[in-house]
Amino acid sequence: MCACEARDNTDSLADGTISRRENIYQPSLMEVLQVRRQSADVKSVRLRFSDEAEGKAFSFKVGQFGIFSLFGYGESVFNICSSSNWKDYIEFCFRKTGRVTNALWNIEEGDTLGFRGPYGNYYPMDAWRGKNLIFIGGGIAMPPIRCAIWYALEQRQDYGDITIVYGARTVGDLVYADELDEWATRERVRVVRCVDPGGETPDWKGEIGFVPTVTEKAGIAASNAVALVIGPPIMIKYTLPVLAKMGLADQDIYTSLENRMKCGVGKCGRCNSGPVYVCKEGPVFTLEQIRLLPEDF
Amino acid sequence: MSEVISARALRELIGGWLKAGIRVAGPRRVATDQVAYAWLDRPEDCLLGGYIHPHNSIKEFFFPRHESLYEYRIEGKKIALKNPEPLADERIVIGARPCDAAAMPILDHVFNWDFKDPFYNRRREQTTVVTLACREHDHECFCTSVGLGPDAERGSDVMLYELDGDMYEVRCVTDKGGNLMAGRTETSQLTGSVPPGPAKKFDLAYLRETIGSKFESPVWTEATLRCMACGACAYTCPTCHCFDIVDEGNARGGIRAKNWDACQFPMFTLHASGHNPRNTQPQRQRQRVMHKFSIYPDKFGDVLCTGCGNCTRHCSVHLGVQTVLEAAEKSWRNATV
Repeated sequence: MCACEARDNTDSLADGTISRRENIYQPSLMEVLQVRRQSADVKSVRLRFSDEAEGKAFSFKVGQFGIFSLFGYGESVFNICSSSNWKDYIEFCFRKTGRVTNALWNIEEGDTLGFRGPYGNYYPMDAWRGKNLIFIGGGIAMPPIRCAIWYALEQRQDYGDITIVYGARTVGDLVYADELDEWATRERVRVVRCVDPGGETPDWKGEIGFVPTVTEKAGIAASNAVALVIGPPIMIKYTLPVLAKMGLADQDIYTSLENRMKCGVGKCGRCNSGPVYVCKEGPVFTLEQIRLLPEDF
Repeated sequence: MSEVISARALRELIGGWLKAGIRVAGPRRVATDQVAYAWLDRPEDCLLGGYIHPHNSIKEFFFPRHESLYEYRIEGKKIALKNPEPLADERIVIGARPCDAAAMPILDHVFNWDFKDPFYNRRREQTTVVTLACREHDHECFCTSVGLGPDAERGSDVMLYELDGDMYEVRCVTDKGGNLMAGRTETSQLTGSVPPGPAKKFDLAYLRETIGSKFESPVWTEATLRCMACGACAYTCPTCHCFDIVDEGNARGGIRAKNWDACQFPMFTLHASGHNPRNTQPQRQRQRVMHKFSIYPDKFGDVLCTGCGNCTRHCSVHLGVQTVLEAAEKSWRNATV
């Protein structure tokens, strides 16, 4: 058996070996509890720490991300899309795109993955108390919003009305569709679903159109509200003026930037947008902060 | 009064270190016209003068171009991780140029803000840097433009100055350096000096003040369009530290490795969606220069450049930090009428 099983916590071993705790690049091992297919090319994965004590000691805040890895293939960065109130496991969601995610597509229950994190900043859920929450997502951007939605629903008395606008290219591309149905049954929650024109099915009951126009037409009350908008850059670009028109101030509009990262700990040098290292000072920014950044994301 | 050592005694000293099992790196002729910092097998391989700047930098003895972060073994559904081999060996880098030695305290910032990189830090602790002050410079050298010079002591444990008659003056800068040279030198009347370094190529204070507001300047495209994205500037740079993390192995096991990367490569920032925040070569050149002269100093105080000139020296189109900054300063000063 390899040395890692010992899980030493000393900072430095006498022979010069870099200990596990000291090695910021070494992940925790996680057991795959569940894999769910969310769409034609998206799956969600539920993970539990292989080491029970490590699992108990772990905590994160919604909005933070992790670096997940499949040994032999490499690491990928995903938002931790489960609520931070869920103590027995964490979840992430991925679209089959590159080397790592194509290999992840074939994982099954009982497999072992690596996890480093949590990294980055988080949604200011405390500051959002007493506010109406507007969540706007496009495509694969539902997972990083989902964690905040569940968190708010679990502390329901702390938050006002919740509006969720979620769009995808086609009906089949809407991820967490079952949870959208469940959220819609909750009190003071409104769910607006939309698909791009041509993406609807004959029995589609939701809206047909793009997220910005659907948001504009939805008649959402913007008083005492904050908005979390995550999606492809083009969706964000056209949704922001809509929110401004509704009366939301720049400091009340939040997004999560998803720049390419390798280390997650402010060293590898690629996720910066101008002066800001997204992995450390982000990924969560207000529109007010983003307006200060150069067009570099 | 000064402390001096003869070239012969210095070689004997290097031989003694090697014999004692200490890993010693220094400038070594690797091809007829090429000098590189490399591990030394014999003391006579070490050049103690007669070169301007090796084609690489000493960063690779602290931040290797390829390094295992840990080993993984796959047995069915079980994975076992193993720490890399111990990093316990004592190391000496001799014959470093001041611009290379100065890079180390600058790199300390990024490897230690918040998260500490134990691989880098361990090697920093284990390594003593003996620097050889510069008596010559070439057209690409610009240390004086970034506040350093031919005998800048920053990052060095010991400074050596070439004297006439195959002698070197030895100035110990740190305790570590003092311990290394203790009892090895003799007292002398001779003191070493170096001629002034290269003439300043740009006004650092002006550029630091201005560059932050010049993200949209046309100079980035004008001055860098000829870049061919080979990445040689980053690989030969003492302060460039971008890296990739990849798995290297097979179905049974392998290593997760940290490899040098470069911001000049198109895939460096390519998103999974296909979106690329830095989609053109001038955007990537702007990132490199602004990282060094705006982003890094705003965060950590030091400009991420020591003026070694390697980026221009090894560029097939003679494009480097100093050529871009020279063009930028000219263009911005002319624009502000």
